[in-house]
Parts: sequence; C-alpha cells; structure tokens
Amino acid sequence: MPTVSLFIPCLVDLVLPRVGECTATLLSHLGCKPIYHSEQTCCGLMAFNGGHRDEARRLARRFIRVFEHDPLIVSPSGSCVHMVKQRYAELFADEPAWRARALALAPRVYELSQFVVDFLGVQDVGAADEVTVAYHESCSTLNALGVSAQPKALIRAVRGATLKEWQGADVCCGFGGTFANSFAPISSALVRQKVAFFLESGADLLVMCDPGCLLNIGGYLHRHHPDKQAMHLAQFLADRLPDGPARDAWS
Amino acid sequence: MSDDARNAILQRLEAAVPRPLPSRPALPPAPEKALDRDRLQALFIDRLTEQAGVVYPVADPVALLETLARILAEEQVARAMVASDEVVAPLGLADRGRRHGVEMVTPADYPDRDRYVRAVFDDVQAGITGVDFAVAESGTLVLVHDARQARLISLAPLVHIAVLPAERIVPDYETAMAAIYAGECRPGQITFITGPSMTADIQGTPFKGMHGPQKLIVLLLTQT
Amino acid sequence: MELTTARFKETAQVELDNARTQKFLRLLPIRLSARRDAAYRSFADPEAAHAYGHAIRGEAIERLPELLKTFEANAEANGALVFWAADSDAANAYIVDLARRKGARYVTKGKSMITEELGLNDALAAAGITAWETDLGEFIAQLLEKPPFHIVGPAINIPVEQIRDIFMARGVLDTPTIDPVTLGRAARRFLRDKFRDLRMGVTGVNIAVADTGTVINVENEGNIRFNKSSPRTLVCVMSLEKVVPTMADALHMLRVLCRSATGQAAGAYITFDSGPRREGESDGPEELHIIVLDNGRSAMAADPHTREVLRCIRCGACLNACPVYGKVGGYPYGWAYSGPMGQVLTPALRGLADTGDLIRACTLCHRCKVICPAGIDHPATLLYYRHKDVQADPQMGGRGRSAMERLAYWGHAFVGSHPRLWRLFARIVRRVANRHAHDGTISRITRRTEGWFSSRDLPLLPQDTFHDRWRQGAAARKPRKEVSS
Repeated sequence: MPTVSLFIPCLVDLVLPRVGECTATLLSHLGCKPIYHSEQTCCGLMAFNGGHRDEARRLARRFIRVFEHDPLIVSPSGSCVHMVKQRYAELFADEPAWRARALALAPRVYELSQFVVDFLGVQDVGAADEVTVAYHESCSTLNALGVSAQPKALIRAVRGATLKEWQGADVCCGFGGTFANSFAPISSALVRQKVAFFLESGADLLVMCDPGCLLNIGGYLHRHHPDKQAMHLAQFLADRLPDGPARDAWS
Repeated sequence: MSDDARNAILQRLEAAVPRPLPSRPALPPAPEKALDRDRLQALFIDRLTEQAGVVYPVADPVALLETLARILAEEQVARAMVASDEVVAPLGLADRGRRHGVEMVTPADYPDRDRYVRAVFDDVQAGITGVDFAVAESGTLVLVHDARQARLISLAPLVHIAVLPAERIVPDYETAMAAIYAGECRPGQITFITGPSMTADIQGTPFKGMHGPQKLIVLLLTQT
Repeated sequence: MELTTARFKETAQVELDNARTQKFLRLLPIRLSARRDAAYRSFADPEAAHAYGHAIRGEAIERLPELLKTFEANAEANGALVFWAADSDAANAYIVDLARRKGARYVTKGKSMITEELGLNDALAAAGITAWETDLGEFIAQLLEKPPFHIVGPAINIPVEQIRDIFMARGVLDTPTIDPVTLGRAARRFLRDKFRDLRMGVTGVNIAVADTGTVINVENEGNIRFNKSSPRTLVCVMSLEKVVPTMADALHMLRVLCRSATGQAAGAYITFDSGPRREGESDGPEELHIIVLDNGRSAMAADPHTREVLRCIRCGACLNACPVYGKVGGYPYGWAYSGPMGQVLTPALRGLADTGDLIRACTLCHRCKVICPAGIDHPATLLYYRHKDVQADPQMGGRGRSAMERLAYWGHAFVGSHPRLWRLFARIVRRVANRHAHDGTISRITRRTEGWFSSRDLPLLPQDTFHDRWRQGAAARKPRKEVSS
C-alpha cells in the first residue's frame, strides 16, 4: 500500500476542491494511502509563466522543501506536474544545490493518470457508467508531458463507457493562464472553437486532466451551453466507482 | 568595411561559450537502397508522377525519337531549344526535328548571351535536356549545369522534356551528390527538379507553369 | 521593414473580425499540418529523422564561427564574393551600390524573409531602383503593400477581386478577370519581362554548406531559378545561422525542410550554387555575391537561450501548429516573421521594448516545439523573454512590468511562503469573488478580469477549500455528504 503525497494545485484547492477529493478517493480505492501536506501552497507556475522568476523560485524552494522527502507525489494537473518535473531545473539553472534537489524530486512527481496506469499498472479502476465521453488532450499533458494513452485507457476501461474519437481532441482550448484574460478575444475564439468540436463529437461529457482547461471550457459551457458538462478525469472515475458517488478519501 | 564587420562578427561569435555538440541518433539506411533496378525505377516514376511530372518509358533510342516526335506534335512545338549534354547531343535531334518540321536550336546557335536569352524566353516552345541523375526517393531529376547544360533551357520554355537513361536512377540524393562532387571541379550550379513549376498563392488554387515549365515530361530510356 | 509589433492586439482584433481571414485560417494551417504529417510518415524512421535534424541544427549553432570561416573560404575558392554585413544598413548599402554599378534600373527578388527583414525594397526605392518581388504571393503582397500573411502563402488570404483590381491598376492585367489561373498567367507574363532583361537578381538562402561553399534555395515556382540564371549579377543574402557543416547535413535538412514547409518530399526546384557560372556557360551569373548578415545574430549567439533560436530554418511548420496563429494569421506579428517563429525571432532581433505582446500571445501549448524540425523550444524561449522583460534587461531592451503587476507577484510569493497567510488569503479571495455571484455563478468581478468573463463564467467558490475539507475529514473520520460539484 504505497503512500502517495497529494500535490494539490491552487486552482483545485480554491475553486475545484472536488477534483482534489476525487483524486484522493481514487487513490485510496486503488489501495494507496494518500497523504496531504497542509503546508503546501503553490508550485510557482503562474509566476514562472509571467516571467517573475524570483517569485517563482521562492515558491519552488518551498515546494521542494515540503515534498522532497516523499517517495511518490501525485497531482491532478498536467501543467503543474510539468512545472515541477521539467521547469524547475531551468528555474534553478544558476543555483546548483537547488537544481540538484529539483532534479532529484522530478522523477517522483506524477500526473494522476500517469501514476495510475504507468506506476500502479491499473487501467480498470472498477468504475462503470453508460456514457459517451470525449477526452480533451490538454496541451501540457499531451505535448509537454507526453501523457495521452494513459487517461484514454482509464476511460475506455470504465464499464459501459464509450470513448469517442473526435476531430479537435488535441486542439488547444485557449486557456494559457493569464493569456485567457489578457488576450481574451483570441482565447475566447479558441475556447469557442474547442467547444464547437466537442458539440460536433456528439459525446455526453468532456473529460480532461488539467484544472486550467476545465475552468476555461467549463466556464464557457456554463455560459453558452449549460446542458453540456466538462469534468476532470479524477471526478469522472471516482464518481463512477461501485460504491456509488465518491466518498472522501479519508472515509 | 566588410573586413571590420567580418572580424567583429566573428569575434562576437567566438566569444560565445560553446556547449557540447549534440549526439546524432542513428538513421536507418534509406529503404530505397535495398531496391533492385526495376523497383527503383518504378518508385522514381511513382514519386515524380505524384508531383505532376509525366514519365514515358521508352525501350530504345528509336522509340525515344518516335515518342519525342509525338509529344512535340501534341504540344504544338515549332521550335525547341536543346542542351548539348552527353545524353541528348548524340541523338542528332537537329536532323530528326527537321524531318518532323520542328526546328531544334542550341545556345551555340546564337552569337551572344543576350540573343540566346531572348530566344529561350520568347522563341521556343520547349526545352530538351538530358539528366545527370534521377533520385528515386523523391522523384527528382538532377541537372548539373555546365557549358553543355545551360540553366534556362529547363526553365524558360513552357514545356521541359528531359531524357533520362534508366541507369542514371539512384536511390537517394547522397549517391547523386557524391558522384557529382567527386570530380575536381565543383559545378557552378546543380538543380533538383521535382515536377513542373507550381504555385497555389492565389486563394490556394494550385496551378502549373507559374514561372517555369507547365509540363515536365521525362523520356525514360530503359535500354541504351 | 517597419516594426508594428506594438499593435499586436489591435491587428489581431481586426483579423478576428475579418470573415475572410477566418475562412482561410480554418483551411490553410490544418491542410498544411496534415500534409506535413503525411510527408513525415514517408521517412523510414520519422522520429529519428526529426531528431537528426535537431542535432544538425544544434551542432551548427555551436560551431558558427568555424563553419562560417570554412564556408567563406570555400565560397571564395568557388569564385563567389563574400560580404559580411553587420546590419541592415550595411547590407542594403552594398546591394544598392552594386545595383548602381551594374546599371540596374530595377532588380528582381526571389522570395526571402531576410530581405523583408532588411527592408531592402525601401532602400532600393530610395535610390531610385525598383525591386520586383517575383514569388506570386510576395508580388501580390508587394503591390498591395501588405506584409506576408503566411510564410508559405504570403497573399493566400487576399480576395481575387482585390488582386484583379491591383493587377489592372498596375498594368499586370489587360482584361478584368477573377480566375486565379488567368491572374497567375498575367503575373507570369509581367514578371517574365523583368527576368528577360534582368541585370541583377537578389535571393535569400535556405541552407549554406560550409564544406563546399554552396548556397541552396528551395522553391516551387521557378522564380528563384530565374533570379539565379538570367542576370549577370546575383546577390544571395544569408543570415549567418543558415550554415551547416556538410552537404550530407544539407541534404537531410532539405528533406525535413520541404516536408515541414509544404508537405512535399522535395520542392519543385532546389538549386545548389557553388560560385558563379563557369567558363563557357551560356547563362548564369558572372558574379555571385554572398552577403553574410549579422543584424543582431552574433549577439543572440552570446546568450545560450537566444542562441537556440538561431536553429530556425523558416519552414513555417510552427505557424500551422499554433492555435494563436490559427486565429489571427500573420499580420499581427508585425514584422518579417510571423507565428511562433516570429515570436522567438523578433524579440531577439528587435528587442523587447515593442514586443511585449508578442512574447505573451501564447497559450504555452507546446505544439510548435513538438513540430519544429530544428529543435527549438519556443515556449521555453518565450518564458525566458518574459523573465528578461520583467527584469528590464538592458541588453534585450526589457521594459519591466508595472508596479501593480510586480506587487501582485511579489505578494503572491510572499503569501505563498506563509501557509497560514495563504489560507487567509484564500478566504479573502473567496469572499471578494463570491460577492459578485448571482445564482451560484460569477459572471464578472473587476475590470481587470473583464477578459476572462467576456466569454466565461466561474463557479461560486466553494465554502471550503480542499485544505479545509481534508482537515475536516481527518477530524471527523467518517463519510461526509456531497458538498458541491
């Protein structure tokens, strides 16, 4: 029963706590023991993407201190995992000691679906539902982490669920962090296009592995197509476990 | 001053701290290299045809001349410019053409460069050249330009007819270039031709013959 | 060329509202991407071929001074004249002077981004010499005084009616038509007259080979071949990073370049020039001038981050892969290079002062990096530029960000360094945000977040964060009811 340290992104903590809960639930269900360091805050992704590297380093040092003793770290966010796994080394290019600590930490950090499929070796988590699902290939998850087969395998293994092949699955939803706000007309055009592809796909539900995309696509659907739903993979799976709607991890 | 600029530029570049050179991954050998002559030839024809080139295999010089005469008639060619390279020169096209009512000229027929250029731009409907190599990997003709292979003959007329002896088909660019550069003297220009002149710059509508030939016709001589 | 990068957002809005632009953007990048993918599959091992190209470009940028010296020596041995130009002015002055000496009233140009970068047409015009673009798309763009919309199809978005009108006005066309082929034929006739009596041609360079002193150009129309064959004087302008070590390297780069640019195994015409025409040749240039242009690139090489950008081979694959380019097209990028290629090149060559939007107009989707045949990490480069801009780096002309933004990020990091403050901050954010909620939905907060809410809602922020729930759960140690979804 591996102990898994939950790396909960700020967006999940504040806006989408259910995604965090479902992550914990799913991991417990699969025989892991999730733990949560309550002193965790932010990995520094937003500061790094904004070019504010001093601030990003400050947060990253803290992240490393909090997590570096954990053998396994799992997060329901492709972009945050990418930050820690791949950007920290660059962030600490001029600080060899911190860079070494970052590099030592990196291989132990997993995106959720990557952890379940690649580390635990599980595809069928035991969930079941008659539902047609479209999977959104979040850019950081697909292009930066190279994670795509794993979430799709997890969805396919849900009994009764159909995973749609659809045009536009790997098209960017236009989130890009502050980009969504500061380049709103372009970002809006992109999310509109993404949703149009989703509607064309005929799927009931759009599932993804990144809370940023979820906020963006979900927020657009809520305003323009309130009958359609976007959902995080963790919640999609946890809600469909045999003992009914997900219970909390610590139950 | 160029010298000052040169030295300043090089100095700045030399001041940059070089990093270790990246290692190169192993490339599998070109699959075309494993093909026998027939399949290499078939591949060449396929690839060039995909790029809108037209290939007529002809068994021998007699068949070649017959096919050429037919093409010149079809294309309504009254006058053609012929290269003097070792492939087309021995064909004796000037005599042949006269018999079919087609005037065959070469750059040497003009007293100076300007008049040759005017002729190849305005007075001929086809250019006929030999080919130094043909590359199967992309259906490409390789022309080495020299005193016998003028550049504009394969470019300025609306039709380019290229005579290709089959044994000149090679699997890949490397084979052709190694042979060309093996000589003492580097040619001033080498041209790879893969299809007729093309564009799609207006509305994405593709059409042939934008600046150069509208038709690229290859007479593939299978026996010599 | 005038730098209009500062108007990125404004131009982007115009293009977003332009139905015609949108129509072409729905077709062109997708079609080119699909063709590129199909062409890559013709490699025996596409991944190895991709990585091999990265290695060639990676080696080239590390060996630049040595390769350039070797190239120069071999090009001169071939009989070419090599001129080193520190900047646009030096290159333009050389070309203008040469054109004058050759008595050229006009010159023709093969399609080249480098001469766009130089602003060569304006420099020649100022000297009373007309420069004719001869690539059909560039020719149309030139007549209309438009920048390139796409590196592969510079004027592909221009309506035929507009082409008809400008062709009629400029004497290219005799009888009005909107048939694309007839329009193309008219341009052929018009430009053919220029080629026939041409004294001097100017082209760019796709690849320069150090070992052989050869310059290579790729094209489909044949206009570059005319530029290289017809006149007695030829000028090839190469930015200094175009050099590769060997002919074998060049041949590999040609394979990935053609596939990445247009999805062809080979462009219709690829010309390899090693010096001017030889004795006894009927045509071809008597003088071949090769201009090695720096224009800020040697400074880029000094910094390992910007040195990486020198890998670029200008294939344009990143444009087709980019979601932002796919919505706004080439005009907003405001200089010779558009798309991700422009976003990494322009700030390095022209500084960060006017390119703040360029380095931020990116969702960090990484598709450009994945597709790049030269191995550029565009997102990492843009993040580096943002960092330099925040630092107000004097070398790159960084401006620094507003006091408000700096304070916000400092505060974020400060609060994030103190977990208790972080929790308190979360509660404040929730309270502020939820104050704007109606029926469980937040549809606006402040003016600073207008962009987000222009098309999206936010859910009401839950009463307890994950952190709170975990603690409550741990305390209760029993199943809890659903809180929210």
